Amino acid sequence: MEMMTVKIKRFDGRNSYYQKYEVPYEKGKTILWLLTTIREEQDPTLNFTSACRHAICGSCAVQINGNAFLACNTPLDDVLDTYKTMNLTFEPLKNFEVIKDLVIVWEPKMEKMTKVKPWIIPGEEGSKEIGFLQSEEDFQQIAAPTDCILCGVCASECNQLAVNQDGYLEPFILNKAYRYIVDTRDGAPEQHLKPVLENDLWKCLHCMQCVSQCPKTIPLTDQIAFLRSATMAMGELDNQGAKHAYAFHDDVKNKGRLNETMLPIKTDGLVQTALTKIPFALRMVKKGKINPLHMPKQISGIQEVRKLYEYAEEVKS
Amino acid sequence: MTLTYAFFPGCTLESAAEELMISTKKVAEALGIELIELNGWTCCGASHIQDIDNFLSTSINARNIALAESLGVSKLLTVCNTCTLMLRTAKLKMDKNERLKEQVNVGLDRAGLQYKGTVEVTHLLWALLEDYGLENLKKKVTVPLKGLKVANFYGCHIVMPPDVMGFENHRNPQSMEMVAEALGAECVEFDQRLACCGFHAVFPAQKEVMTMTGINCLSPKEAGADCIVTPCPLCQMQLDAYQPDAQKRFDQDITMPIIHLPQLIGLALGISPEELAINRHVVDAIPALQRKLQLA
Ligand code: SF4
Ligand code: SF4
Ligand code: SF4
Ligand code: SF4
Ligand code: FES
Repeated sequence: MEMMTVKIKRFDGRNSYYQKYEVPYEKGKTILWLLTTIREEQDPTLNFTSACRHAICGSCAVQINGNAFLACNTPLDDVLDTYKTMNLTFEPLKNFEVIKDLVIVWEPKMEKMTKVKPWIIPGEEGSKEIGFLQSEEDFQQIAAPTDCILCGVCASECNQLAVNQDGYLEPFILNKAYRYIVDTRDGAPEQHLKPVLENDLWKCLHCMQCVSQCPKTIPLTDQIAFLRSATMAMGELDNQGAKHAYAFHDDVKNKGRLNETMLPIKTDGLVQTALTKIPFALRMVKKGKINPLHMPKQISGIQEVRKLYEYAEEVKS
Repeated sequence: MTLTYAFFPGCTLESAAEELMISTKKVAEALGIELIELNGWTCCGASHIQDIDNFLSTSINARNIALAESLGVSKLLTVCNTCTLMLRTAKLKMDKNERLKEQVNVGLDRAGLQYKGTVEVTHLLWALLEDYGLENLKKKVTVPLKGLKVANFYGCHIVMPPDVMGFENHRNPQSMEMVAEALGAECVEFDQRLACCGFHAVFPAQKEVMTMTGINCLSPKEAGADCIVTPCPLCQMQLDAYQPDAQKRFDQDITMPIIHLPQLIGLALGISPEELAINRHVVDAIPALQRKLQLA
């Protein structure tokens, strides 16, 4: 019989250690089957959470060999095939506090979520009497974000969160804010948006982990782009993120290409650049990586590129 | 055998990563790959323009792809992860959504172009595996990179999101290892192999990104790597040019040379480090390479 070696990170409230289990391989099972089998047949002290077994409750997510998975809907065979191994290492989700073994604490995350006011702030149009009606089309806008099952996979994989737990919002919190901002029944989208901006919205690294791992394929990074656009539409342009984005936007319009020499100054301003980026700039000049005298020439076809800009403006209005 | 591609260099290759332009051209020539640079390509937006205007971001990349289509080639090749992602994202959106494609084409029409959807967007790394073939690559190796321990730093955008990139399993890609091993190098295992370099937020998240850079250098260093190799000029710039800034946040020595994928290939083809412009990096990679290799 083929055996799998399963290492699980245990935590008893004080100490953490890895424990090894040998489990006979069976075809066509799920990751949750594997955990349940270990608990039932080998070690009743092993702690993990699960409930619905149908990717609905969101309670069963774990890290396996460095990636987060929803245990109940992930085929064991897929994981073995991905890592080309019979050795699996289980750990609790990253970027969460751990209570015991694979069990994590959700309360602080829910507390943090209240920052974005995750509820409808009713607009003028509805009332208790007539209700809060929505067209089919309007409903479609919130269909994808409401698929979130709060499993925590995105947060576990988020690279910004890993280095900025207090400052940054979990991708599922951003999703929640998005959900109310685009809800046509909500009368105060800026009240959800402001806290998003204030909690390091521009620090998203665009690494694509969240969107690549979400078991519900929620378009998290498109939402982040939308949230950034929305803050700029609200007039929030005086920050590094917006200025950086506009540097690209404007350079392409003017020349077709990015002017890397001017990028820091456009993003940070002259004074800040002088304070923080001079050693970097000198290093780059010395190695011939930046030629301060090289200004990109206009590309051939720049007139045509500008027509695309004009047209995009027309489409928007 | 001559393979011909339309070539999208991307802005960094014209300035901060000119050494990648130089080494890409040298390697293509040595392998007998013809690269036709798009005339009048624009910056892909580097994951920033869509934050201002999603439709515009799709439109400028539709234009880039349309320029390639008019060359009558079947593939548009890049050497930058993020360029590949931006171009492929635009393509996928239009190919999936006829209405969007028509709308984008209304704009392109004013620019005298049409997006048809006939050209595939690829990266040099994929083209080597898919089109050129590892066996053919091996035949071209004159200086096997025996004893050189490389750490393959993929960079997120060559694998993620998988519905756009999709060349290989994003949780455990092997393409870099396959190429490096074909060249005779030894690949080290290290934790940060699939990490993010943080480049796209280096301005707003400077502190966090410098910490990440330090970790990304230390991890392969502790695994015994001689250098990091990456298929993305942005990862390279983040890990190399910002390394002295990252060092300030660490007590341990984080020094780690960072080279581009075409530079690694070029070395194995017997091209000298100078011709590959390896002398242009902020963290000098040549001593580490010389220790292990008989360089041309
Ligand atoms: S957004 Fe996706 S990954 Fe994140 S908690 Fe919701 S369902 Fe899970
Ligand atoms: S794309 Fe942004 S939100 Fe998503 S995982 Fe990366 S840093 Fe986090
Ligand atoms: S991502 Fe960078 S290299 Fe690619 S075109 Fe844009 S600015 Fe240039
Ligand atoms: S690692 Fe950084 S620069 Fe490289 S592809 Fe990812 S986000 Fe882009
Ligand atoms: S057990 Fe409910 S989502 Fe997995």
